[in-house]
Amino acid sequence: MTPTVRVSRTVRRRHGGHGGSLAGHAMLAPALLVVAAVTLFPIGYAIDMSLSHVDLGLTGVHLRFDGFHNYSVVFQSPQFWQSLLFTVAFTAVTVVLEFALGLLLALLCKSWVRPRGALMSLFLVPWAFITVVSAELWGYMLNGSYGLMDAVMQGLHLAQGNVVWLGTPTLAAASLMAADVWKTTPFVALMLLAGLLMIPDEIYEASDMDGAGPGATFFRITLPLLRPSMLLALLFRTLQAFGVFDLPFVMTGGGPGSSTQSLSMLAYNAMFRDFDFGPGTAVAVLTVVVVFLMSLVIIAMFRGQLTGTYDA
Amino acid sequence: MKRQRLGTVATSAVSVLGLVGMGLVGGLPASAASKVVIEFAASPIANIGLRSHLISMFNSTHPGIEVKLISEPNNTDTYRAQLVTQISSGSTTPDVFMGDVIWPAQFGHAHLALALSRYLPHTFFKRFAPGLVQGASYHGHVYGAPFFMDAGFFYYRKDLLKKANLPVPHTWEQVVSDSKILQSRHLVKYGYVFQGKAYEGLTCDWMEFMTDAGGKVFGPGGKVAIDSPASLKALTFMRSLITSGISPAAETTFQEAQSMNVFMEGQSAFLRNWDYAYSLSQTGKGTKVKGDVGVEPMPTFQGQSWPGYSNIGGWNLYVNPHTRHLKQDLAFIDWMTGVKAQTFMATFGSEIPTNYTVQKSPKVRAQNPVLNIVSKVRLVPRPSGTPAYPKVSSAIYTNINAALAGSVSPAAALKAAAQGILRATHSGL
Repeated sequence: MTPTVRVSRTVRRRHGGHGGSLAGHAMLAPALLVVAAVTLFPIGYAIDMSLSHVDLGLTGVHLRFDGFHNYSVVFQSPQFWQSLLFTVAFTAVTVVLEFALGLLLALLCKSWVRPRGALMSLFLVPWAFITVVSAELWGYMLNGSYGLMDAVMQGLHLAQGNVVWLGTPTLAAASLMAADVWKTTPFVALMLLAGLLMIPDEIYEASDMDGAGPGATFFRITLPLLRPSMLLALLFRTLQAFGVFDLPFVMTGGGPGSSTQSLSMLAYNAMFRDFDFGPGTAVAVLTVVVVFLMSLVIIAMFRGQLTGTYDA
Repeated sequence: MKRQRLGTVATSAVSVLGLVGMGLVGGLPASAASKVVIEFAASPIANIGLRSHLISMFNSTHPGIEVKLISEPNNTDTYRAQLVTQISSGSTTPDVFMGDVIWPAQFGHAHLALALSRYLPHTFFKRFAPGLVQGASYHGHVYGAPFFMDAGFFYYRKDLLKKANLPVPHTWEQVVSDSKILQSRHLVKYGYVFQGKAYEGLTCDWMEFMTDAGGKVFGPGGKVAIDSPASLKALTFMRSLITSGISPAAETTFQEAQSMNVFMEGQSAFLRNWDYAYSLSQTGKGTKVKGDVGVEPMPTFQGQSWPGYSNIGGWNLYVNPHTRHLKQDLAFIDWMTGVKAQTFMATFGSEIPTNYTVQKSPKVRAQNPVLNIVSKVRLVPRPSGTPAYPKVSSAIYTNINAALAGSVSPAAALKAAAQGILRATHSGL
């Protein structure tokens, strides 16, 4: 397995060497300017706004520097802590489940399924649904008085009377997670399958000849070599799950109470329902900070394992 | 009517062509002759083409103005978010927009709506039914022209009450006892359905129960008064509707559409809903209660005088402060709240007119049973006089909903609601 690692290192060196010519940078400049305009400016403006008292006036939006006042308002709000807790729990549960199921699907797909293309297209159906549409469908299926799931539960005698899926905090959170897992597992499966297909068959043949069983092959070859794809999938999913908005917005409206109000929903409500632009952007900035820190942790975890074990 | 409209279109087309022709020939700028176009933003009203009918009626009688409809989202919060983004960034359009009756304080405070009373004469506002103009005011100025109103109504199944030989209930206690009778005789699955999800609609339903019990959100001097024995009575009662099976367990997820579905499926004896529920229950797709529905003002608690309170809903017309065509905007608003347009709204669309003359007209009252009892209902507004109203309302509906779902006790929910309202009115999140 060492050859593959060596190849990737040479590739890295080749790219790192003499890249930075002036002409190259000059040619990149226009594109970088566009990127700066569409990403850096709004981010900077949001940070500015989160540190300001915001007035909506006849002549537009006025910002007056206000230090960390908005942040202290946010930290004192029980809604913020509730939203943070829900969002973290939602992210943790869905990412772990999507990962486990996605890996399983990818492995099945790689080894047993022959018309792979057909199956993959089937996989992608839930993922291709626009989230608002699938959220409406789930909301309809989970409706506590005429929903499909209710009929199933009663038909199987698993429940007496109606199950109000979206009516209690725990069940509502679980339903949202289920809807997300249903929708996004295929995405994880696809990314992991791509990683699996990139592992050269020779390595498996070699391990076979060395007498490695299926367990050893999986843990000592498949998983380690899958790490780059896993890192990518994990990062994508964490970022997306942490910013979840459309599912709870459509399915529960943040309820019951405000138990399923995600951080993005809180920021949206503060800004566009309550016109509290200062605290609203503070919530948005805090969300970015938290998700950034989480990403750093994930990358650090994977980097340690990538270089540590297989560099020698 | 059709021929007449075709005629107008033809003449205006001819005159426009003629003017353009003159402009070209004489070298005059064509814009001197062109119409002033104003954009009117509105969410769908009854999905029967009401907006476009009104606009074409206006356009055909006002040769100098062309109103263009900008159709907006059905979801009120999404629509509001769109307006905030557009108007706060200084956009001159939409010129006129239709907006919720609870917006005047919030929009007036944030300079998102023009104070109409600065530009319209005092006499203009005398056309509206009592109480409406006050509801559209903030800090002494009127920000919205009432366009059509709505209120909570009590719908009941005539056939079921007849079978059980019961009169229409006038108290909440009777709603409970009647429901129990009807349910135990297996005539119907549920007794009463209303709106219990954590959203603005629950605040409306809550205002009715709470006011019936004698409670208030704000007491004298603007003090938060929601955590009171009267509120506790109301909330305990609402929760008991669910625990006793009179209302479905799924109440806590019901908006208007879900409660309407249950009622139209014939699964509930009573329903709380807005004005449109009557015609929808009679003509809606798949309705099983055609010809069996009656409507009355809301019940109240025993010991109070009937009728109970109905929350005020409905929509106003607002003007964008950045508009470039104020004169035309006001002419449009004047016409839309005038007798002709309001009569059309009531007779063609079954909406409750805000124009008092029209509201009282026998022709309109004969239109359907709901319009006939409008003068009997006792109205209560939501506490939307503060710019922080959306937060006040969310403190109400999230906590009431949590109590309905049983995740907190009614007493704890009211305490949390009071704290939330206090935070909301002191610039907290």
